[in-house]
Amino acid sequence: MLKVIDLHASYGAITALRGVSLEVRQGELVALLGVNGAGKSTALKSISGVLRPIQGSIRLLDEEIANKKPEVILRKGISLVPEGREIFTGLTVEENLRLGAYTSYERTRYQNDLEEVFTLFPILKERFRQAGGLLSGGEQQQLAIARALMSHPKLLMLDEPSLGLSPTLVDQIFELIHSLRERGITILLVEQNAERALEIVDRVYLLKTGSLEFSGTPEELKSKLDIATVYFGGASDAEREVSL
Amino acid sequence: MSTGMRKVSDVLKHRSTLVLLSVPILLGAVGVHFFASSLVVSLYTYFCVNLILVLALQMFMGNSGILNLTHVGWVGIGAYVSSILSVPPAVKSMGVPNMYPALVELSLPIVPAIFIGGVVAAAIAAIIAWPLMRLSNAVGVITLFATLIVMHVVMTQWDNVTNGPRTFFGVPFFTTLWIALAGALVTLAAAHYFRESSLGLRLRASRDDRFAAYAMGVNVVQTRYFTFVLSAFVAGIGGGLWAHYITSFSPKAFYIVEIFMLLTMLVIGGAGSVSGAVAGTAIVTVLREVLRQVENTLSLSDMFNRDVYGLTELSMAVLMVIILIWRPGGVVGGREVAWPLLRARRRASEVASADVASDE
Repeated sequence: MLKVIDLHASYGAITALRGVSLEVRQGELVALLGVNGAGKSTALKSISGVLRPIQGSIRLLDEEIANKKPEVILRKGISLVPEGREIFTGLTVEENLRLGAYTSYERTRYQNDLEEVFTLFPILKERFRQAGGLLSGGEQQQLAIARALMSHPKLLMLDEPSLGLSPTLVDQIFELIHSLRERGITILLVEQNAERALEIVDRVYLLKTGSLEFSGTPEELKSKLDIATVYFGGASDAEREVSL
Repeated sequence: MSTGMRKVSDVLKHRSTLVLLSVPILLGAVGVHFFASSLVVSLYTYFCVNLILVLALQMFMGNSGILNLTHVGWVGIGAYVSSILSVPPAVKSMGVPNMYPALVELSLPIVPAIFIGGVVAAAIAAIIAWPLMRLSNAVGVITLFATLIVMHVVMTQWDNVTNGPRTFFGVPFFTTLWIALAGALVTLAAAHYFRESSLGLRLRASRDDRFAAYAMGVNVVQTRYFTFVLSAFVAGIGGGLWAHYITSFSPKAFYIVEIFMLLTMLVIGGAGSVSGAVAGTAIVTVLREVLRQVENTLSLSDMFNRDVYGLTELSMAVLMVIILIWRPGGVVGGREVAWPLLRARRRASEVASADVASDE
């Protein structure tokens, strides 16, 4: 469904991605892992069009979408839930959701979609008329995901959905992502919480300083690499214990 | 709550704001017409005209969060265009001796003249706004301010059109209480539906968080641009109605003192909502009149052995500072009034306190 080939991206003089290729197939839940600064968010930003890649091809259902504007890419079916739950705190829950649906707004469909969102996220029904800023962190994350779903994306991209949430809420969010996958939604997930992500995903890409370090199934990743070595800059278990 | 019930309450909620705002304005006009002196009728008419201008300002500024100092400029263009088109040639050739002969000949009925005033304002806004809408924050405000200065200089210097800094007089009176009222109510509905529309919602999202809106696929520049042109159109129409109420004016009327007055009205009421625009216009119109009376009385009474002119502007400025400190969101607080009045108020105060909490 999504095919990224040899993607290069940079912020001014700082190169963030050096030739990354990855693929997400229909119905898959794929994780993009890596430490801070590995280029995970940059990859999502490039795919969603918020950041313009320097070089490389991004294809959605065999259509080139690299360098297109964000609204065009959104209309083509890629929806991004940005890092830090960027919901609109001054708008109500209802307005946030309506905004998610605006690219394809149609009244009856909107009403049906709302009902579906309420079954997935019952709390949003209770909070329907409240300002987004009054919601707790976990509720805001749910709203951010619900808002992205309102546009009926072919591909849903989640940027660190568990960031800054309490352990129970993290569990809830991962359960939710799992259930979205069960409903047939194709998902590209960026996570710091690698161990939790590996429990639910079909395939994994591992980024390191802007390049692809590994790709394969979670099992392959676990057998080939110690996750900790990736995240702690190559320290072995023994060394890590000493440093702790 | 069932779906059906929610739909009903949806309708009630959306309509109730409009009803709660327009019915008092309508009743006020009827009351003033039957029971008040001609001075009060005139004041109420002025309130309705100001309401049109403030609502037009709210459309762009309230929803985009961009301080629009050029607003009076569009009002001015509407006023000049509709006056030039509607003043009889004989009066024009006398009042504006240097006017281009082609303009002197023009003579249209007042209604199309006012409409064309709006169109011309929108057309000029459409040219000027394209580069400006990319700018935000301080840069955006300063460039809009510079644009206002350009517009003012053109109005004061182009005496073949505007009579220069001198008064343009002889504009036929047209804007009665009922016409101003009709204009205010139509603008009120337009501003309300605009705020709730997809375009208005996208614009409010961009005010909340420009980058998040962009990531959601909102074309921020385009959204601002369309609204700016729409706002200029309404301002132009409002300017025409204003001109046919005042009947003589000079470029001074479309400069800093006037934009400050319109901003005071919007900010005191609360720029974020149509309800705020209405409340602010009402409060400031009444207060200004009261202060003017006090000012005149004090000046005539010789209490201070000198005139105390400027008291009105001074008090307005102080009031604006106090409101901004005490309630940054304005008296209404950025939300619309809605039917269960108490619930709406509670929600607004919750938002306000949550805002404070997040600031700390």
